[in-house]
Amino acid sequence: MRRVGGGLSGFVAFAVGVVTLLSLLLGDNPALFGDQPGSEELARRLALPGAVLLRLVAIVVALSIVIGVANLLYVHVGRAARGKFFSAVVLASFAFTIYWYLSKRGDTSLLEAAQVPIESALAALLFLSLTLGGARILRRRADIWGLLFVVVAVIALLGSIPLAELAPVKALSDWLLAIPVSAGARAILLGIALGAVVAGVRALLGQDRAFRG
Amino acid sequence: MSEEFNWLDYVEHEESAPEPERRSRLRRLLSRRPRLPGRPRFGLPRMARRFRLPALAFLRRRRSDSAPEQSSATNLLDQRAERPLEDLDERLQFLRERSTLAPQPSADAQQALYEVDDVLVTPEIAQKPGGVISAGALSKAQRQQVELLRDIVGGATQAEAPDGRRFLPGLALFSLSAAPRMIAAAALLAMVSLPFVSSDFALGALPPAAFPEERPGPAAVFNALDNVTADDYVLVALEYGPAAAGELDPLADLVLRQVVARRAIPLIVSSNPIAIARGQNIIRGINRSVAGSGASLQHGFDYYILRFLPGGALGIRELNENFADVVKVSAKGILTRLQLNSLDQVSKIALLSDSAETVRNWAEQIVAASENTPLLAFTSFSAAPLAQVYADASDEILGLVFGYRDAYTYGEELQASFGGAQPAREPPETAPASRQASADAARASQANQPQEARAMGERQPPAAEPAPTETPLPSATPPPTATPAPASTALPTATDLPAATATLETLRIVEVVSPRQVRIRRGPTTADDILRLAQAGDTFEVIGANGDGSWRQIALANGLEGWIAAFLVDEGTMTRAAFEAGRASASASSPTERVVLERGFLPSLGKNGPRFYQANAPIPGDLHEFVLMRDRSQEAPRLEAMTLGALAAVLLIVVGNVLSAFGALRGRAGPNDGRGSFDD
Repeated sequence: MRRVGGGLSGFVAFAVGVVTLLSLLLGDNPALFGDQPGSEELARRLALPGAVLLRLVAIVVALSIVIGVANLLYVHVGRAARGKFFSAVVLASFAFTIYWYLSKRGDTSLLEAAQVPIESALAALLFLSLTLGGARILRRRADIWGLLFVVVAVIALLGSIPLAELAPVKALSDWLLAIPVSAGARAILLGIALGAVVAGVRALLGQDRAFRG
Repeated sequence: MSEEFNWLDYVEHEESAPEPERRSRLRRLLSRRPRLPGRPRFGLPRMARRFRLPALAFLRRRRSDSAPEQSSATNLLDQRAERPLEDLDERLQFLRERSTLAPQPSADAQQALYEVDDVLVTPEIAQKPGGVISAGALSKAQRQQVELLRDIVGGATQAEAPDGRRFLPGLALFSLSAAPRMIAAAALLAMVSLPFVSSDFALGALPPAAFPEERPGPAAVFNALDNVTADDYVLVALEYGPAAAGELDPLADLVLRQVVARRAIPLIVSSNPIAIARGQNIIRGINRSVAGSGASLQHGFDYYILRFLPGGALGIRELNENFADVVKVSAKGILTRLQLNSLDQVSKIALLSDSAETVRNWAEQIVAASENTPLLAFTSFSAAPLAQVYADASDEILGLVFGYRDAYTYGEELQASFGGAQPAREPPETAPASRQASADAARASQANQPQEARAMGERQPPAAEPAPTETPLPSATPPPTATPAPASTALPTATDLPAATATLETLRIVEVVSPRQVRIRRGPTTADDILRLAQAGDTFEVIGANGDGSWRQIALANGLEGWIAAFLVDEGTMTRAAFEAGRASASASSPTERVVLERGFLPSLGKNGPRFYQANAPIPGDLHEFVLMRDRSQEAPRLEAMTLGALAAVLLIVVGNVLSAFGALRGRAGPNDGRGSFDD
């Protein structure tokens, strides 16, 4: 039975993927059907299944947020029942936030006073961590790559300091950002695109069968 | 679910059969599970255990009664934790059996795994104090895991080797080896804090007041937004979270101010639900900054916050394909009544993002499909390299503005565009009258300047002021008289009497005395719809009262009649001449009388009755106060803090690595002294 169910889900996934691909391909290109009358109408109809399926995805994702919240509550209710202190804190915070929002008619001062400062502080800690990591990199990794890291980091940081005496360093820093970093960025984008194609094809062909659970 | 078993999460089954004595030692060892990496080293976990809540037995029973096959995270964890010993991986069972058969380790086997030292060699975890850089090869969690593994395969529990690090076991935060890091962190914090204390610590030059010619992208972005005209719609996508708020909030604030100051209408949208709330807060901040001028942005008229776009890239795609549906509903579930069918009806798209991935999504899902609407990109500094690639490759992306330094320059250009040249270090003006005078002077100077040919893309003054548009009125309500836009000096006359007689006429007037905004309603109850808001000091002619005298019927400037609660006003008399003179003054200082949307709460979804009514038509012209009244007092200190922080980081990196190199030369702390590196 499980084998049959797995095959069915695989077939459904494959069929949906192919229909969506064809719909996007043909629906977005009415020129494929020539200049004959009705070609645009045909393209519009072909685009409809893909648009509907993609819209369903957005709806499912929205529902998954609700399910995620419900599961979070379920997990932490269980943990709080076992005496876990921080789970109780999570539940109390959840209840307080809902109460605050309802009682203050949509007031978001909690976001402004709590979440934004905390997340900003965590982001600022990254600067501290990277600086301390850079200060010890040659002790931990005394090779050419560690040295390269230190040199590039120092040049980039000096380039961001607006002093006239550091103008040559700024020029070098700008060059680093414009040429090597840009080249690396393009390479990363190419890798992402190729990876997305490969992952999509593998999923469609059933080699990555995450949809089977 | 993975078949691999995690020792760290293992707890023996509570109802397992009595076990031989050899298992008891293993159970004792396993109960001392190591901390997971990343947990704080002090304080809270112990405090949490100390204040452990009492177990709620009824909930536990309820949980145990639930179906065990249910695929919740809790059940999966419980199932894994309650697996009996027989379910262990065969290799682990062998290791466990072997540990029970092995003799106790001798005293000289402290540093090696007993009998398996050929396989696993524990690294030295001793640490040398001193120097800027500490040399801990293994984290505490890693050491605990090593110790646990050593216990499992070697048997005896070893006491932790004294490493000379701690004064006291519970004070790891203040250990000697942590002192250099603490000093470095304190130095960094001090350096970035100094500019906020005194301007004597200013270092370096501020960013330029205009974008340089070698970077045409930001200038094109600024000019594009500066060229929007009244009633244009500008889609403002806030795609960043709270962590990037410090960097991108200033840019979002500038973009929104620029749009509303040109009387265009921003449509705020996001695929990040928190960013939607951020947008709401930014609008509130703008309203607070212009509170002294009487201007205020109203949702549903001056701006819209649209509903959340779920699904990441797919949500953005849906925005493009189903634009009419997306703009129908606001973030609070209220119908917006926007009549927009496609993105082509939007003048510009301003994207503010903290990640290159979001820029990619917008470039692929929106820019590629909407050729007529240019996209203006604003990103954080870290996202700029990848985003720049798209900005360079696509003609529809006009340019890229990134980082806080660009935000400063953008603000300077905006300030100059509206005629203000406020020094960055001066605190914002506090007197509304002087602000308005400055704004009026700026407007006058702009009107008098010759219409010289400006650079391509710069804002061109409109040939004629746009006619005010009428808000579509619901058919269920009697349409109010549409009043043509009054000129700044021409006031609507309220009577047909000859002027001389009219000016001598004595009127009953009310003056708003409530310190808060007062609602003028359509009828003498709080259930009636709101026509407009009034501020303290606003005066209105009284034309009637309700039965018990608790409400006054007043005449509004556009010919409408409204009701205001009597306890919020003071009553008196005034000649019509004095009244109209006062109203003219108030009208000049409060150019934004607004149609007000009565916002219901969540249950109002789908029940939006006719709640729009037209009050005064807006006075044409730009709203300078939205640009000129922003608080700029923290701009320069923030930039100087960034400069000092970068300088301090350079010094720390250089000094730390130089000390390390000296240490290596002296043979005290060589770079690869056997305590492990990333390559080990």
